[in-house]
Amino acid sequence: MTLEIVLFVIFALVCLVSGILMVTRVNPVISALFLVVNFGSLAGLYLTLNAQFIAVAQVIIYAGAIMVFFLFVIMLINPEHEKRFLEYKPQLKIFAVAIAVLVFLQIAYIILFSKPSEGVSREVAASVKAGTIEQIGRELFTKYVLPFEAVGYLLLSAAIGALVLAKKKFK
Amino acid sequence: MNIDSIISDLIFIKPEIAIAATLVLIVLVDLISPKSKTALPYISLLGIAIAGVFVVQQFGTAEFAFKTSLSSGMFAADDFGSFFKIIVLLASVFVIFFSISSSEIKSVNDHLGEYYTLMFGMILGMFFMVSASDLVLIFISIELLSLSSYVLAGFVKNTVRSSEASLKYVIYGGVSSGIMLFGISLIYGLTGTTNLYEINSIIQIQSFPHITFLIATLFITVGLGFKISAAPFHFWTPDVYEGAPLPITAYLSVASKAAGFAVLIRFIKITFINSIDHHGNWELLNIIDWRSIIVLLSILSMTLGNFTALWQDNLKRMLAYSSIAQAGYMLLGIAVLSDQGLTATMIYFIVYLFMNLGAFFVVMLIANEIGSEDIEDYKGLGKTMPFLGVTLAFFLLSLAGIPPTAGFIGKVVLFIALVDANMIAVAVIALLNTVVSLYYYVRVLKNLYLVQVDEEKPVIKLSFANGFVIILLAAPILIFGVYFTPIVNFAKNSINILGF
Repeated sequence: MTLEIVLFVIFALVCLVSGILMVTRVNPVISALFLVVNFGSLAGLYLTLNAQFIAVAQVIIYAGAIMVFFLFVIMLINPEHEKRFLEYKPQLKIFAVAIAVLVFLQIAYIILFSKPSEGVSREVAASVKAGTIEQIGRELFTKYVLPFEAVGYLLLSAAIGALVLAKKKFK
Repeated sequence: MNIDSIISDLIFIKPEIAIAATLVLIVLVDLISPKSKTALPYISLLGIAIAGVFVVQQFGTAEFAFKTSLSSGMFAADDFGSFFKIIVLLASVFVIFFSISSSEIKSVNDHLGEYYTLMFGMILGMFFMVSASDLVLIFISIELLSLSSYVLAGFVKNTVRSSEASLKYVIYGGVSSGIMLFGISLIYGLTGTTNLYEINSIIQIQSFPHITFLIATLFITVGLGFKISAAPFHFWTPDVYEGAPLPITAYLSVASKAAGFAVLIRFIKITFINSIDHHGNWELLNIIDWRSIIVLLSILSMTLGNFTALWQDNLKRMLAYSSIAQAGYMLLGIAVLSDQGLTATMIYFIVYLFMNLGAFFVVMLIANEIGSEDIEDYKGLGKTMPFLGVTLAFFLLSLAGIPPTAGFIGKVVLFIALVDANMIAVAVIALLNTVVSLYYYVRVLKNLYLVQVDEEKPVIKLSFANGFVIILLAAPILIFGVYFTPIVNFAKNSINILGF
């Protein structure tokens, strides 16, 4: 067994266990914390696939920014009320399970039977290179420099807009 | 692509640089001297003037900037883009005039810096939109426009209802841009590129699963349909137009619609074109039946917009539905799929700019005085506000398409293009829709002039500056209604989309 497979098994196990724990917890805060663990182990899986940039982005954006946002929302709404959400409507549980099974079957079908990667004959070396931060940085500052600058102004507008909305007072 | 070519390409985005620099300048001025709020509109106007000079200078160029390969780039500097930039800039100038005299904007004097900054965010987004030839840049610029307009729509009134409108806008907008992004990712998955020109050259030689491609392009059309508020993606329009401050409503109805149309036209023409014959008819690849899709959208927009407008009692809401119907008329010009139809749409846009902004401005000035936008409250205003009454009547008649206003010319050019393309049935539906629209426009006139009011109302005086702005808006409608050669030539000279 190479180190790569060992790492894969470890990350996959952490991912699976934290995923199951996340959906079975009653307290939403604990659920959210298990989701952070899940995101972290996913980042590890990306690393074993040579996708450095996606791994870093996963940690910064999902495990960092989006989870903080999640926790804030949980803090601001009343979790006591939401806890009993499924108790009021037990049908929702069946619906959720059905959707999950459907998605699982779909992914299983794609991986096992339809073989979508058969037609793709890219060299592994090229895809390894494409995932590096250096390559993405090069693309970002040459080919995509104009959209990159536009994103800068997008963030400036968003920040100013958020300030305006936050300072608003309701009558 | 090296640093030298990036630097030399900056010359093509001079207008955008001017707008971006003004945006930063407004932020800085507002931070350094918070007392000088009154200077902000003038700084904005100066920035727009400089950008306008650059845009006019750029007429005649047809080149790719920020090349991604030998024959395609991120940004297409062409006359078609410059035309829509002119429309956006003209609308911005008028909306800044509106903002100066709007009582709604005056009530948030503390936040004037943010107001103009976000407005320039919108302009920058629209500038990139109309020239973008890559789906990445298109998506980012649409987001830049949308995010700024979400905030501006809920900027002024601190009431729950106005914030609800703003929230509705965010949710509908978020969903539609999510759908659009999904469509873009499907297209990228199929073709391996996001550049419109490269997609075109790939789909010309390679065939793709038809249903996937159809879904992907329809998803992109949803995102653009939201921006131009065409039915059935129009549900946000009445609420947002009613809740937003009036200058922003006017701006959304003209400038942001123009940018959406520019992207839609560029997307359809560049991505799906096979060849153009010498009559200027576009031979599109028959992957997707664009004509049927656009005709369907257009008939839905016209009919829904016009018939729903019949029941509206709030003038802002009525104008919102009327702008949905107007988007339907303008879509017809694209459905023709020829340079003649495109010219007709562009002529209609010039006319629509003046008449729609004019109608909103007069409604705003009347609302400043009587504090209401209800059609019932307009009874007898024709006598107390003679100038505003006459000009409102004039703008509304132009929207309905009555000669000798320019609205008539816009519709005639459009119908000629339809008849030339043998789309008689569609032309008849559009004509019948015009008749329906006449009812609700004239209903306002009835309240202004024909209804007897018992109580005596004082005559209200209009400031000289506002009267001047109204004349600036009304004069082109009157002049172009009689002497329309200049706008026809302007539109004809500006249909050159890069690559053909």
